[in-house]
Amino acid sequence: VTETRLVENPLLEGLAPRRTPEPCVLVIFGASGDLTRRKIFPALYALACRHLLPERFAVVGASRSEWTDDEFRERMEHAVREFGRDDFKEDVWNWLAEAARYLPMDFADEGREDELAGFLNELDEERGTGGNRVYYLAVPPPAMPIIIKELGKQRKTKGWTRLIVEKPFGHDLASARELTRRISRHFREEEVFRIDHYLGKETVQNLLALRFANGIFEPIWNRQFIDHVQITVAETIGIEGRAGYYEQAGAIRDIFQNHMLQLVALTAMEPPIDFTADSVRNEKVKVLKAMHTPGPKHVVRGQYGPGFVEGKEVPGYREEEGVEPDSMTETFVAAKLFVDNWRWADTPFYVRTGKRLARRETVIGIQFKRAPHPPFEDAATEELQPNLLLVHVQPNEGVSLAVGAKVPGQGMRIRTVHMDFMYGGAFRTELPEAYERLLLDAMLGDQTLFTRSDEVEEQWALVDAIVAPWARDRPAFPNYAAGTWGPAAADVLMHRDGREWLRH
Amino acid sequence: MASALSAHVEEWSAEDVELVDVELALGRLRDQSAHETWGPDLRTSVMTHLAWVPEEWHEAALETLAGLGERHPSRGILLFPDPAAEDGLDASVSVLAFPLREERRHIAAEVIELRLRGRRSEAPASIVTPLLVSGLPVFLRWRGRPPFGESPLEQLLDVCDRFIVDSREWPDVPEAYAELPFERAACSDISWRRTERWRRMLAGLWPEIAEIDELSVTGPPAEAALLAGWLRSRLGRAIALQQENADEVEQVVAGTTLCPSPHERPSPSDLLSEELDEFGRDPVYEAAARAASDGRS
Repeated sequence: VTETRLVENPLLEGLAPRRTPEPCVLVIFGASGDLTRRKIFPALYALACRHLLPERFAVVGASRSEWTDDEFRERMEHAVREFGRDDFKEDVWNWLAEAARYLPMDFADEGREDELAGFLNELDEERGTGGNRVYYLAVPPPAMPIIIKELGKQRKTKGWTRLIVEKPFGHDLASARELTRRISRHFREEEVFRIDHYLGKETVQNLLALRFANGIFEPIWNRQFIDHVQITVAETIGIEGRAGYYEQAGAIRDIFQNHMLQLVALTAMEPPIDFTADSVRNEKVKVLKAMHTPGPKHVVRGQYGPGFVEGKEVPGYREEEGVEPDSMTETFVAAKLFVDNWRWADTPFYVRTGKRLARRETVIGIQFKRAPHPPFEDAATEELQPNLLLVHVQPNEGVSLAVGAKVPGQGMRIRTVHMDFMYGGAFRTELPEAYERLLLDAMLGDQTLFTRSDEVEEQWALVDAIVAPWARDRPAFPNYAAGTWGPAAADVLMHRDGREWLRH
Repeated sequence: MASALSAHVEEWSAEDVELVDVELALGRLRDQSAHETWGPDLRTSVMTHLAWVPEEWHEAALETLAGLGERHPSRGILLFPDPAAEDGLDASVSVLAFPLREERRHIAAEVIELRLRGRRSEAPASIVTPLLVSGLPVFLRWRGRPPFGESPLEQLLDVCDRFIVDSREWPDVPEAYAELPFERAACSDISWRRTERWRRMLAGLWPEIAEIDELSVTGPPAEAALLAGWLRSRLGRAIALQQENADEVEQVVAGTTLCPSPHERPSPSDLLSEELDEFGRDPVYEAAARAASDGRS
């Protein structure tokens, strides 16, 4: 509570400001899509359960499907029942359903934008939402430019406007710049919220707390004490019917360009001067600018063949529906990256991501250097590994620290043991879903956990440089079996440096 | 208590024990729990939670504590004084293993119930001190009207960081607020927490209610007194209180302005959980409690 507000209203002292947004209308473009069903509406319901949505609120679904308000509500009720993390409560749902409207529309049709404007103005009158708008573009990239243009034309002088954009933000540097150019014609950067849902995960935010709220880590968070960093974003699923998208994107555009590089940036960034959006994002951009392009020897790509995942036989990528039988799309990428700055010079960041890997897991491993001179006999420490800090992003959010401990008994034998801190266990068993946090932040106008245009451009610049040589050669795909940890070349990438991927 | 938590439970109990028996039982139960669940359970403690529970509060205390273990993994020590019985110490120890999502591992929490018989109830600090988790804050929840100035309470105040009461359980509000030991420990009151939603609504009526000199509350005496004390201390002047009894706060009228109802009604577990999230002193509560007891701003 600011001093000014207290002078104005002494009753506010001691009352923690609630993170409740101002009255607004949330308009979801792509309301008939999977994202709305699986993530956005369940997140809205969770926010409603916790009284975090404004009292004067409306949510409008817009898509080409010819649904009525009631059909939309019915479908979203099913979605909330199926994907919501809370028990279904009639009173909460009734409140949200009453705020929900549906508008069948296609922006490509002449005059539909005026229909939307009229619809929203009427809703303002009815719900008291004051002209405040949050537009959520949950649509494929080709649909974005026309929507952005039409929304831009309807900008009102009354109320504020925020635009949430789902990834991918382009497919290379040039297209990302073009998208930014189109957006910036109608929206200021502070009105644009580019979602990378990894940033909404509690553990990703906890990485910042771990680094900057604990005096014991930051002094050793550098090249003097850290041998290398490993980041794994592993999925066991295949492409889940998204061949059209994935054939164009591949692992490097689907995961590496956004989630992976964000994790690298958060791990490597300098302490921000405060936790405001620009301070945090400025530091992340510095890391991205300091990363140099890995040469072809430092990048491994792969594509899965048939195999077994969790005991079930699964087809290879080229046998997936909609995939070309000679597809050269990569489903796995590993790379050795360097951040060329004072803190990290010569400290490698090994990263890998892929589909149909052995285990679903996202983890950041900080491998410390060995103790300089353990005063024990070699035999006593042969099972001892260097200290390792693991930040588990998913599925079990938490932190583990590997330390050496004496094996009980006669003599001196030292083994590595893990001290585990499971995030859900220390505070609440149910952590908020990333989309809850991000939706709320967008409504509040807090951009800290959203990517800025210059971040996106730096990420694409790196990806463009990595993929440039790929057009010239044809690796022997498939080169790893589904259910394994990727191609052998990924292990070679580590073995050449005398290191190994961590077994988590 | 255990049945409400849907957790794997290992239990041990005995009469006429020494504290070393309790510590040994804890270690043994952790081993058994690890054996029967899936490897060693994680112990993630954020506090030691002491509760002083006279006979008449047993049931209510156990109901409130159900579910807290998941939200605040801690060592819970429940002290049941029984001064009329023969001298001795009976103990019951439970290790609760809460399953982690998507994993077969568990998080362990511990509950130690101690029956302090006869003269053992006169020296509770000497009993709990060896059982506190070192380095973590100690929260003392006192059920019923605390006997300020008497030995058991004074001893336990010396070992706790935060003293939690519910003044709705007291028969003599608002006068009793004057006895709260603000200088000895950070004090918090679950009744004060219950008023938070109403305070927020009243703050939303500013500046309409800036000049009021009367407050009418339909609700329990504690909440009514605290709301009046809060307004007196915040606005810096006398405000008369009209209170009509009800089990919960049902209506608040500031001057002639009817305060909108906040709708939310958190459970006793939620209220205690919110108090356990607070660590420091609350000067707004302290001022409100003082103003409630002396009727002045």
